[in-house]
Amino acid sequence: MEFLKYTAKRVLQVIPLLIIVSLISFFIIRLSPIDPLAELRLNPSISQETLDKEMKRLNLDKPIYIQYFSWAKSFIKGDLGYTTAGEKVSTKLKERIPNTLLLTMVVIFMTWAAGVPIGILSAVKKETSLDRLLTVISSIGMAIPSFFFAILMLIFAVKTGWFPVGGLTSYNFNEMGFFEKIADISKHLVLPVIVLFTISLSGLQRQMRANMLEVLDSDYVKFARAKGLSEGKVIFKHALRNAVNPMITLLGFEFAGLLSGAALTEYVFQYPGLGRLILEAVMKSDINLVMASLMMGTIMLIAGNLIADILLMITDPRLRGRS
Amino acid sequence: MNKVFSLILILVSLGILLKACIRQDIPQSFPERIITRELREINYPDNEKNINLNGVDYLQSQAPVGKFGGELIISTIGEGPKTFNPCNTKDATSSAMAGMLYDGLVTTNPVTGDVKPLLAKEFSVNGCDYVINLRKGIKWTDGKPITAEDVMYTYNEIVFKGLGNPSAMDAMKVEGKLPVIQKLDDYTVKFTTPKPFAPFLRQLSYPIVPKHYFKPYSDKGESVFNAFLSPNTPPAEIISSGAFMLKEYVPAQRVVFVRNPDYYKINLNDNKLPYLNKVVYMIVGDTNNEILKFEAKEIDVLALRGSNVARYKIREPESDYVIYNLGPDTGTLFLVINLNNRKDKDGKPYVNPIKHKWFANRDFRASIDWALDRKNMVQNIALGIAEPLFTAESLNSIFLNKYIKGHPCDLNVAEESLKKAGFINREGKLYDADGNRVEFDLYTNAGNLEREAVGVMIKQDLENLGMKVNFKPVEFNSLVNKLTNTHDWDMAVMGLTGSPLEPHDGKNVWTSSGSLHMFNQRPANYKIDDRLDWEKEIDEIFTKGALKLSFDERKPLYDRYQTIIYNQKPIIYLYSPIRITAIRKKFKNVFPTSLGGLIYNLDEIYIDEDKN
Repeated sequence: MEFLKYTAKRVLQVIPLLIIVSLISFFIIRLSPIDPLAELRLNPSISQETLDKEMKRLNLDKPIYIQYFSWAKSFIKGDLGYTTAGEKVSTKLKERIPNTLLLTMVVIFMTWAAGVPIGILSAVKKETSLDRLLTVISSIGMAIPSFFFAILMLIFAVKTGWFPVGGLTSYNFNEMGFFEKIADISKHLVLPVIVLFTISLSGLQRQMRANMLEVLDSDYVKFARAKGLSEGKVIFKHALRNAVNPMITLLGFEFAGLLSGAALTEYVFQYPGLGRLILEAVMKSDINLVMASLMMGTIMLIAGNLIADILLMITDPRLRGRS
Repeated sequence: MNKVFSLILILVSLGILLKACIRQDIPQSFPERIITRELREINYPDNEKNINLNGVDYLQSQAPVGKFGGELIISTIGEGPKTFNPCNTKDATSSAMAGMLYDGLVTTNPVTGDVKPLLAKEFSVNGCDYVINLRKGIKWTDGKPITAEDVMYTYNEIVFKGLGNPSAMDAMKVEGKLPVIQKLDDYTVKFTTPKPFAPFLRQLSYPIVPKHYFKPYSDKGESVFNAFLSPNTPPAEIISSGAFMLKEYVPAQRVVFVRNPDYYKINLNDNKLPYLNKVVYMIVGDTNNEILKFEAKEIDVLALRGSNVARYKIREPESDYVIYNLGPDTGTLFLVINLNNRKDKDGKPYVNPIKHKWFANRDFRASIDWALDRKNMVQNIALGIAEPLFTAESLNSIFLNKYIKGHPCDLNVAEESLKKAGFINREGKLYDADGNRVEFDLYTNAGNLEREAVGVMIKQDLENLGMKVNFKPVEFNSLVNKLTNTHDWDMAVMGLTGSPLEPHDGKNVWTSSGSLHMFNQRPANYKIDDRLDWEKEIDEIFTKGALKLSFDERKPLYDRYQTIIYNQKPIIYLYSPIRITAIRKKFKNVFPTSLGGLIYNLDEIYIDEDKN
């Protein structure tokens, strides 16, 4: 019961937040000097009537607050509107979301599967040469800019010919058999996954190491050791369960990044995901598309936090008492 | 200490090792021969014939007979097509894709620029009357015949109503009136323009669409029609007429076309074209990715830019591609001077009256023209891949005034004409007759590296004359706003793309009431006649030029307008880029022309892996 009440409260808190975020982003985009019709204005073969018609279609002839209200009204009804090119925003997003999810989920799964054990390992082997080596590797991973690394990977792909240069599927994808299709997609995913994996692994690994060290230093671990428990039991049964709590909060943020986290890498690899779509939408001030993606990002962030909180309540008995 | 020393040693040796790995493959200087080499002399057999086989009027290609099969993979930069509706395209990618699907009545001869029949079997022009005979027995991809009904429908219910993209309708209006179309029989239609109107014949290249497929949507009004044939339409459902049919569209990745098995074009052996099984457009985000894709052999055609030209040229002999120089393209880069002497709503002049006095002086503008070093710009900014430009029509235009030869950069002439205009140079600083220092702003759009570089060079060149130039790159949208709305600018570096075939398309720029008459922009519905003498003459030329139908009658008129612009210099042209394109050697029947480009004849191109 407590649990449901808490969740309901959190969901209600979302509403004012969404209103504020939408207001700020809508006005910032609309007040920026980007004119969605600039290209048309400079086209010698476009007449004034055509320009006026376009202004009307895009609602640009109305004051900005009316534009906002008409957007908000249809958003509440679940209608995301049309892009400046006249396509449905919802279909555009639907085309791209699965691709981005595929990429980010593979990356998140791999980073967590690798990052947590490596973090534990380097905490347990603190200040040995193994730990130092891992520290150096993760520092490199943190220091290298993602787009630069992505470009290096592309050049690698061109020079060796082992991997395709960007994209998600080959041009003859539709004529392939089932297993060939899987192989084709995997081949396209390798490079972007390597880039994103290297970069997010380092942070996660360092975080896990720090948490683990803190816990290993605590009194109850010392007590457990003094009790004569085996090292494995101390680490996995006592230390790990406590060290993993902050990681759950982190997982909540990872969830928020599911749809937006890989924009830069997507762009370099020409990956047909949301990042590329939204970047181009912002450049062209395609308001409905930008707003839809921003709203989606906000909702994902809030949902991620909510999930993390709920998970924490399940894993951490102390929190259950408090709420 | 020892540790630090060894670390430095390791780093230095590592650096040297890495340096050794870098192989220099970009030459320091550009061999002159790459830059000056002309278009290869390959003549496209453009004398296609109409042949009647079993009651069907085929169009017979005269190109060498090739092999069937294979695929050609091209790239398109940007977001991909927004629609496959040929009547509603608003960007170049969408029109190229929709253009693959739907043929127009006529098309352009890629060699001479003349109008030649395509979907029409033949046409005849008599004053205001255009009689079009259609091919008998040719079909849409669903097997229904293409008849006069479809042509009537396309013009009466789409073009003349302004459905979709209304610019076609705007262009067809003569003094506000539209042509009339009449059906003479099932395979003949007649257009009648209100007055003789030269651009009209070429406008008949507008794609003809199937009535039975489009009508249910066009009847439901504008918004339904605009959403019709969006990229999400299932490809199997699309009924088209072109050489290729849509097979698949994968957002942000590719568009795949397959051969139309029942196309109306045949080869010399009477086999149905096209040869290629598939044409694939890869959607790539930027030029860098395009180059990588070409290197990785994922695409077959690549437009080369800048320093890449020399690099690819050097590697051409041992590569699997050929490089073609297609000559200057329709893009022009120019410096425009604001001659506006009008005042805004508050009575404040758009241009400072002191500056306006300079700008309105022809000798002042001429001195700028003579001081600009176009050769230097071509060499250093365009890396030699461009041609100096002096005319308002682009260099590949069939209406180009060949008598305008241009001139080299000559500071003496420039100073001479400044002196004539009463300017005085004191210790390297230029003053006008009233003692005002000559200083003005030069705008361009920030982010366009080429235009920014040109702006810097203009600034340097003009400073040689003692002018003070404040070069201000601003955001593209604010520049457009300045040019079209607020008019508060002095000079700007801009570019426009013209039509190499129809100078009348530039009427919005050149006629005094045009919406893009940047150098002397008048507000909409401006009643006062304050045209300069030469503006008047250009207005007359554009009115007359559209009424004359024969090329030979029109050419002298448009020659005259280019001469006027060259003499008056409200817009000072700088250079036009040269198009250089690489294509894999295995593709045959490639006949590059300046007007058509490289792969305009997709239905005739075939693959032959053996002979090179």
